[in-house]
Amino acid sequence: MATKVHMEALSPTMEEGRLVKWNKHEGDAVKSGDTLAEVETDKAVMELVARADGQLLKVMVPEGTTVPVGNVVAWIGKPGEKVDGDGAAAPAPKSAPAPEPQKRAPPAVRSAPETPPQPAPIAPTDATRVKASPLARRMAKEAGVDLKLVQGSGPGGRVVKRDVESAPATEVQRTAPGALRTPLEGAPRTPYEDVPLTQIRKTIAKRLAASIGPIPHFFLTTEIDMERAAEAREALNKQLGEEGGKISFNDIVIKAVALALVQHRACNAWFQEDHIRYWNEVHIGMAVAIEDGLITPVIRNADLKSLREIGAESRELAARARSRRLKPEEYTGATFSVSNLGMFDIDQFTAVINPPEAGIVAIGSIAAKAVPEGDRVVVRRRMRATMSCDHRVIDGATGAAYMKTLKQMLENPLAMVL
Amino acid sequence: MNEIQVVHAGTVPYAEALEWQRELAEDRIAGRLPHDVLLLLEHPPVVTLGRNSQPRHVLQPAGIDVFEVERGGDVTFHGPGQLVGYPILDLHAYKQDLHWYLRTLEQALIEALGVLGIPAERNPGFTGVWTRGKKIASIGIHVKQWVTWHGFALNVTTDLTHFDRIVPCGIQGVEMTSVERETRNGKRETLWGESVAAVLTGFEKVFGTSVIPCPDGPARQDRASLRTPAVAEPGL
Repeated sequence: MATKVHMEALSPTMEEGRLVKWNKHEGDAVKSGDTLAEVETDKAVMELVARADGQLLKVMVPEGTTVPVGNVVAWIGKPGEKVDGDGAAAPAPKSAPAPEPQKRAPPAVRSAPETPPQPAPIAPTDATRVKASPLARRMAKEAGVDLKLVQGSGPGGRVVKRDVESAPATEVQRTAPGALRTPLEGAPRTPYEDVPLTQIRKTIAKRLAASIGPIPHFFLTTEIDMERAAEAREALNKQLGEEGGKISFNDIVIKAVALALVQHRACNAWFQEDHIRYWNEVHIGMAVAIEDGLITPVIRNADLKSLREIGAESRELAARARSRRLKPEEYTGATFSVSNLGMFDIDQFTAVINPPEAGIVAIGSIAAKAVPEGDRVVVRRRMRATMSCDHRVIDGATGAAYMKTLKQMLENPLAMVL
Repeated sequence: MNEIQVVHAGTVPYAEALEWQRELAEDRIAGRLPHDVLLLLEHPPVVTLGRNSQPRHVLQPAGIDVFEVERGGDVTFHGPGQLVGYPILDLHAYKQDLHWYLRTLEQALIEALGVLGIPAERNPGFTGVWTRGKKIASIGIHVKQWVTWHGFALNVTTDLTHFDRIVPCGIQGVEMTSVERETRNGKRETLWGESVAAVLTGFEKVFGTSVIPCPDGPARQDRASLRTPAVAEPGL
């Protein structure tokens, strides 16, 4: 009878291990004590050793797969012996001391199926089942664009003119009748790649899903004139001159967000299940993109700090966030957050609240726009800010009043020194 | 009390040291080696890639050997002035827990650095030993049937510019440091000996082992003499 090879625990607290390398392959002869595979956790690699003689009949998981401790990763037996494909039946013989299936996690193994589905040939353009405007349909036909591959941005996902125009070349395939899709140049020839979740991505998934689900979000957007803030910034940076440590728009926004919170304590709060904690201190979480994730270092007492201090601190925190050298107390304890995607040319967006905080402001890019002023049109630098509010703490009018103050502060930066 | 024999091996090329460790580990597993061993040595300049390595973490591999090895972790650099320690321990006599082993190795180095007057600490989530926000020692281990090999690398007087060739341990932006840099007033000539002594003190303290002193003489010859005489070893 064939013997199972189980994922073993590298430590008592370990619930899963990542199988990084198979040293033996299906069909190889193995003897008890031979190294079958390598399992990794943290900075430790452990060899998974055969506990039976025979042939490695079947490998159940590909390299790079994370497997719960106790799960079957392979079978050893006599050549030609049948093994149970899903590893569920065929009890391990008594002579093979299989590790205790302690803390057995669900048996699912996170990996691609062993035989990936073949990419289906794309049928000759059949646009009849895609919602599209007549103009978009005609443009697509002329350009040889398959409408099914275009993401519609019109009402109800309808494909409109701008979608066809802006569809990136890599996503739009020119279709000839019966032609197969050719893989993207340089892309691997598999239809997809499964990447195991890193610890930080697991945390992001857990925390943000725990936010957008149970927290009743609502959003308030306002457009802010940044002319004076820009002038103030230029003047301040000129004064700082060669001293270094320039002030960025982000520093000005953080300062304004903090000062506006001082006037609107109702928004500077944590939702705590059976009570709301209104904070008397203002600690601003600043979302920083890092490789494979994001983290929100905290600028403590941002309302009391000068722009220069905020600038120096935010640069230092962001640098250490990117090198993952923040201490836990440096990225926890914010009372309110700011997320800025202006540098990515995003006009406006909505950010997900970082619980238990009750609000976050999403900052878009600063762009020159034509705006009416009296009876003429002038060009001004404008910026859109969107506040996400936890409706259990903040009501519409409360949030709107806060945003009005924030807008006033940024439109008249002198108000910040009042 | 567990005993550990310390072998001061001098400068050993990476490939040779690797083969040596594998042999010692196999001997320890098979019971041919009656006690644990700690190899202390230096490597000629070499870049090694752990099982978790990503090629983009080697920035300028020019002119230096690159090895892919079976230890945990990402890419690292070894070279002159770096005290490399390879403990061949049978964890059955300690704890069958690799996280315990990683943390205890860290603690041994933290104690050692304490002896040298350098405040060192862990950086949770990033195995290794850190001081004042910089990384001073790297750790990567391998275990088979609860016998360990690979180990730690403590920068004593390492030329730190070598680390510019890699992204140490896959952590972007990490800054490396050395005992020499952190002690500042230490004398370079005596630093190596002091560091070795401190590491042994730290090891004895946290692992609760007693160090068996190694006889003087050309260290490489110990390679054969470590074994029990019953086992003939061709080629040594």
